[in-house]
Amino acid sequence: MTATAVRLPTKGALARFARPALLTVASLLLLFYLLAPMAWLISSSIQSEREIVSKPPHWIAREPTIENFAAIFTSHERAVTYETRAGRDPASGGFIPSTAKNLLPSLGNSLIVACMVVLLNLLVGVPAAYAMAKIRFRGRQASIYGILATRVIPDIALVVPFFLFIRNLGLLDTLTSLIVTYLAITVPFSVFILINYFESLPDELDKAARVDGCSRWQTMTKVFLPLAAPSLVAVILFAFLASWNEFLLALMFTQTPKSQTLPIIIASFTSDFTISFSFINAAGVLAVLPPVILALVFERYIVSGLTAGAVKG
Amino acid sequence: MNASTLSAPRAWARPWLGYDERSALLFVLPFATVLFAVAVFPIVYSFYISLYSLRLTRPNRVPFVWFDNYANVLSDPQFWAAVERTVTFSVMAVVATAVLGLLIALLLNEEFPGRRVLSALLLIPWAIPSVANGLMWKWIYDSNYGALNGALFQLGFIDSYMVWLGDADKTLALIANAFVWKEVPLAAILLLVGLKAIPADLYAAAKVDGADALRRFFHVTLPALGPTFALVIVYETMIAIRHFDLFFLLTEGGPGDASHVVAWRIYVETFRNLSFGTGAAMSYILALATLALSYVVIRALGRRL
Repeated sequence: MTATAVRLPTKGALARFARPALLTVASLLLLFYLLAPMAWLISSSIQSEREIVSKPPHWIAREPTIENFAAIFTSHERAVTYETRAGRDPASGGFIPSTAKNLLPSLGNSLIVACMVVLLNLLVGVPAAYAMAKIRFRGRQASIYGILATRVIPDIALVVPFFLFIRNLGLLDTLTSLIVTYLAITVPFSVFILINYFESLPDELDKAARVDGCSRWQTMTKVFLPLAAPSLVAVILFAFLASWNEFLLALMFTQTPKSQTLPIIIASFTSDFTISFSFINAAGVLAVLPPVILALVFERYIVSGLTAGAVKG
Repeated sequence: MNASTLSAPRAWARPWLGYDERSALLFVLPFATVLFAVAVFPIVYSFYISLYSLRLTRPNRVPFVWFDNYANVLSDPQFWAAVERTVTFSVMAVVATAVLGLLIALLLNEEFPGRRVLSALLLIPWAIPSVANGLMWKWIYDSNYGALNGALFQLGFIDSYMVWLGDADKTLALIANAFVWKEVPLAAILLLVGLKAIPADLYAAAKVDGADALRRFFHVTLPALGPTFALVIVYETMIAIRHFDLFFLLTEGGPGDASHVVAWRIYVETFRNLSFGTGAAMSYILALATLALSYVVIRALGRRL
């Protein structure tokens, strides 16, 4: 007893200084860990070909240039040939590859696919989730187990049947093939988040609307949908990010720039040793920007969605 | 209305589907269709394919071979070498993710200025496309102009630039590092929720009993986090075992066979050798292994999950 009484003040004094110091050091370490790789990606995307090959590297661009980004957005105006590239002709962008013109269309493809997947997720997911959360029907429990089961199937196990399926339908190299398969991999999670949310809303709401003569459809659209806004935001974000980021299935199903998405075009750059890393990094920044902005703006919705999905999943 | 409503209200005599059941059916139908067409059907179809010797190089002759594909895969020493690499990679990746995730969660569980900003920034690695992640780390590891070489050189840890991904002894660890960077936010977020769910009474009681901070961590925090840890480990293991993107982007299975893992092997077998039967068999083995493993981990770590 006396021992603790003697030790306590020193401990407290130590803690008063040690705790903030420890927290500051740990925060700075975490900040560095999270941001340093991204900062390096961004810094090298605004360096010229000449600067990016410096040893040791220039951590901050000394002659920042938007040449790489300009090349992405105006690439259709440049005639890049083997000769202009080998000659590092500045008019054609030096190390800008001739495939740079595929970047903008692939950006468009990524956007179309992601938006369609979001839309279909809502159309398919909301009624299913409402029914499973609020309507008592035979097979309700079985359907909820069904959703859980789909979440443990590794996507790589689906690749072979998906591919043959898509090929037999003649859908290879179409955006449709991506939209359908992405819907499949995202919708179970969407329904899951929505069920959790609908279940947290009181059953009395449902009963009251029904007594007032609303049909099931009206109850869902007029009473529950307006209340479900937070979970809808989460669903939209998850479906959008999953589609925007997906790589494996797009690699299997797409073959030409007609349907290739941004990750596929970028991946094709990384295996081409003649392309400057500063240009590839500019393309990388382009791919990273939308998800990062969405994540920072909608942080709360994402975190609550992630935890809801995991805690019950 | 009809006969059944007039008869005795016995359960089996109700109309087969009431209004509620009919609307529920309509509401669930699109979802059920999608789920069946793109989850249930492929699983069954995949098993069916795995029993045939289906090669796209020989599309007109597809003999039924029973379990030959499985036998061939399982008796192939190269497959087992790939399994070994997958296990090495997954263990490194999952352990690092769990430990780092716990440290970050412990930090963000404290109250200090800047905590909100840090938690928001934590989502950045989680949100970015894996292709961008792969490209970023490939550039960091670059043997000529990469940041890793530059930083180590400037800090004096190395005298000359080194080959990183091209070094067979380091490849798996370096890929695991890139994997961890992207996966650690999710682990930290889940563990943070677990930490917040621990009742404050437990800590108070431990304090009264004279337990110091370290004891409280090992005797209160860690046991209470058990189920969350199980969840994180199961989830990350499932992701790591089947991870493909970084192997494709960083090394394509190389140098030599150094990063030739099972997921990469499935890809090569299916889409480069066009041997779909073997590919399907291998993915089936991988899927079953994943299921079995998650079951074991859940049983071992999270008794109440």
